[in-house]
Amino acid sequence: MLTMFVVLDGWDIGAGALHFLVAKNDPERRQVIAAIGPLWSWHEVWLVAAGGTFVLAFPELMAVSFSGFYLALWMVLWSFVLRGISIEVGGHINDSLWRSGWDFVFAASNVLLAILFGTALGNVIRGVPIDGSGMFSMSLFTDFTARGRVGILDWYTLSVAVFATVLLSAHGATYLRLKTVGPVHERSVRLARLLWSVTPALFVVVSVETSVVRPELFQAMFQRPLAWISVVVIGAAVWALATGLRGRAESRAFAGSCGVIAGLLAGAGASLFPVVLHSTLSPEHSMTAYSGATAERGLRTALFWWPVAVALALTYFFVIMRIYSGKVRPSQDTQGY
Amino acid sequence: MDDAAFWHRLQFAFTITYHYLFPQLTMGLAWFLVYWKWRALRAGDERCAAAARFWAKIFGLTFAVGVVTGIPMEFQFGTNWSGFAKYAGGVVGQTLAMEGMFAFMLESAFVGALVWGEERLGPRMHFLAALGVAIGSWLSAYFILVTNAFMQHPVGHTVHGSGVLVIQDLAAYLLNEWALIQFAHNQAAALVTGTFAVTAVGAFYALRGEHTRQASMYLRHGTAVGLVATVLVAFPTGDAQAKIVAKYQEPALAAMEGRFETGPMAEITLIGQPNVKERRLDNPIRLPGLLSFLAYGTFHADVRGLDAFPQETWPTNIELLYYAFHVMAGLGTIFIGLMALSVLQRLRGQLESGRPLLWALMLAFPFPFIANTAGWITAELGRQPWLVYGLYRTDQGYSTVVSSGDVLFTLIGMAGMYFVLGLLYLYLIGREVAHGPDAIQPSPYGESAEAKGTIG
Repeated sequence: MLTMFVVLDGWDIGAGALHFLVAKNDPERRQVIAAIGPLWSWHEVWLVAAGGTFVLAFPELMAVSFSGFYLALWMVLWSFVLRGISIEVGGHINDSLWRSGWDFVFAASNVLLAILFGTALGNVIRGVPIDGSGMFSMSLFTDFTARGRVGILDWYTLSVAVFATVLLSAHGATYLRLKTVGPVHERSVRLARLLWSVTPALFVVVSVETSVVRPELFQAMFQRPLAWISVVVIGAAVWALATGLRGRAESRAFAGSCGVIAGLLAGAGASLFPVVLHSTLSPEHSMTAYSGATAERGLRTALFWWPVAVALALTYFFVIMRIYSGKVRPSQDTQGY
Repeated sequence: MDDAAFWHRLQFAFTITYHYLFPQLTMGLAWFLVYWKWRALRAGDERCAAAARFWAKIFGLTFAVGVVTGIPMEFQFGTNWSGFAKYAGGVVGQTLAMEGMFAFMLESAFVGALVWGEERLGPRMHFLAALGVAIGSWLSAYFILVTNAFMQHPVGHTVHGSGVLVIQDLAAYLLNEWALIQFAHNQAAALVTGTFAVTAVGAFYALRGEHTRQASMYLRHGTAVGLVATVLVAFPTGDAQAKIVAKYQEPALAAMEGRFETGPMAEITLIGQPNVKERRLDNPIRLPGLLSFLAYGTFHADVRGLDAFPQETWPTNIELLYYAFHVMAGLGTIFIGLMALSVLQRLRGQLESGRPLLWALMLAFPFPFIANTAGWITAELGRQPWLVYGLYRTDQGYSTVVSSGDVLFTLIGMAGMYFVLGLLYLYLIGREVAHGPDAIQPSPYGESAEAKGTIG
């Protein structure tokens, strides 16, 4: 579910982060926002649904991690609020200063969200200072080393954040390439190529860093079937992306882009399992999926209704994609944005 | 500053109170939109179609603010109430996840289509979008109220070996008696908010002499639904709510009425100030026997006062609980009177010409927000000192790793942001109302009217 959110909202965030790069004037910026406007709340729903499922499945994990990341999480929440407002409010008044201001808020909050998500992922992979009480709380940064009493930011989580920002921007550019025509389209094409060619290099860097910070993860990866599946998914997605980017197959490139992100997240999850929150202080304080999961009964109960809900959600998803299929043109058809 | 529990509570109270100002309006308006879209579809009523277009814009703006202010709520269970999340997450997580999966998905999938998709969808699908949004928002409310009802009156759970709660009987949990009654009461109240908004805009246009055909329709539909809704809030739903509080939360009932002594023929208090230190009610004006009757069905029933309960089970803020309850009940009564008078005047054909009454209807729209908020304060303060009634105390539930200073910091940040958000919201709603319903083209915002079939 979380993967679904990242893939879906990732394109909003990515497109938003690139806002000023792809769109050079007001009608073009309206066009970018219109490409994601009708969809953003629908994407955030996945976050809400994932959050609810999180409470249900891993109450203890949620309790420990959310209170531990207290201030960082509030920054995420504020960014969400700001982004939502800027989309909804920006287009309501036809005044260039008003719009520029909200465009800036929109772009800034999206960049911040991309960085924060990357940082969060970096923290989960690196681990957090859980102590004997089973809780942790950390400062924004300590000495920037990735061991012992770590902070939220260190060299490792920062580089994951950079990677995530580039990756989500590339994803966003691929989405805009699919959804727009005109100059925005041209710039998205160029940016998508550029960003996607930088991404593999960054990926190698981050992987090497990961093997330094958590060497055991790569060993674990080879033993897990889910990790193998995710490698296959990434491979196929990269192929789709590469061929899609070279030619005119915009949907294929976009599908590939979604696949890459989903595959990377699934792979990371599979290699971390069963530890869900690693302790940098001492391994026996780490939280595992078994200690984090609610008593089985709750999950088994949920399994009755959960598949029904997912099926319904996917139905809505296809209905929506049909409704909003097609390209967004500049200066007309901006649906109030 | 060292009372961290207080700051955690204040923060949650603030964010949820602010958030709920918006959903109550969207839930109330949703069925108006459905009705107008249905009339437009069936009878080809152009006036209803225009009304739906206008109110859909207000709905969309309100919905968006509801979404952005709602997202923090769910995170706060983890950030600020980690003890509670650990203790009851296995139970309340069920409905929180269901809300997201079943209700919120449906709602937000179609809200965009409702607000922007009229031309692209065609009349039938657009009506279905309105219906989907309405059902989704009410379903959403149900799941959230089941979650709250569990905190008020826990059922369907069992205590796991490690001391945390797990779900035992999903059906019992979902069909909690408390949830059903609270849902009826709360949704009727949301409908009141919606009708007062529709009526107020109608009265505004009528007083200014603009958009007269729309105005008269808003007044007609608003007051008709308004009378039904205001009566439903009091009876049977409010009555049932009071009885269930009397049944399961006796100390809360005593505190709501400022009743310190036990005795038969219990009065209801119209006016008076609770004096907790001296354990009495100052300058009370009371109607004897009515509380006994309302709570237990007979005038002679014994109603236990706060003296019958150990002080550590008293609600922690008796004064506020008392005032909130009386504000809610008093406003509810006035609402019925106002709507009854309006309907009467309408039947006599004098509603649109009687300026004093139009003024009253126009200025009345904030009061349902106050009454709804006061009602929720009553419900939540009445639950204290428990977080899960009878099982888990509020001062066990907050995140001990988060210091009160950090909470205060985020609370101030949130307050500042919500203040700006509130200003923007009021400003934009004001603009929409000033533009009025007659200027809107079928595909809203003018500039997109000529672009057909390419909405992306």
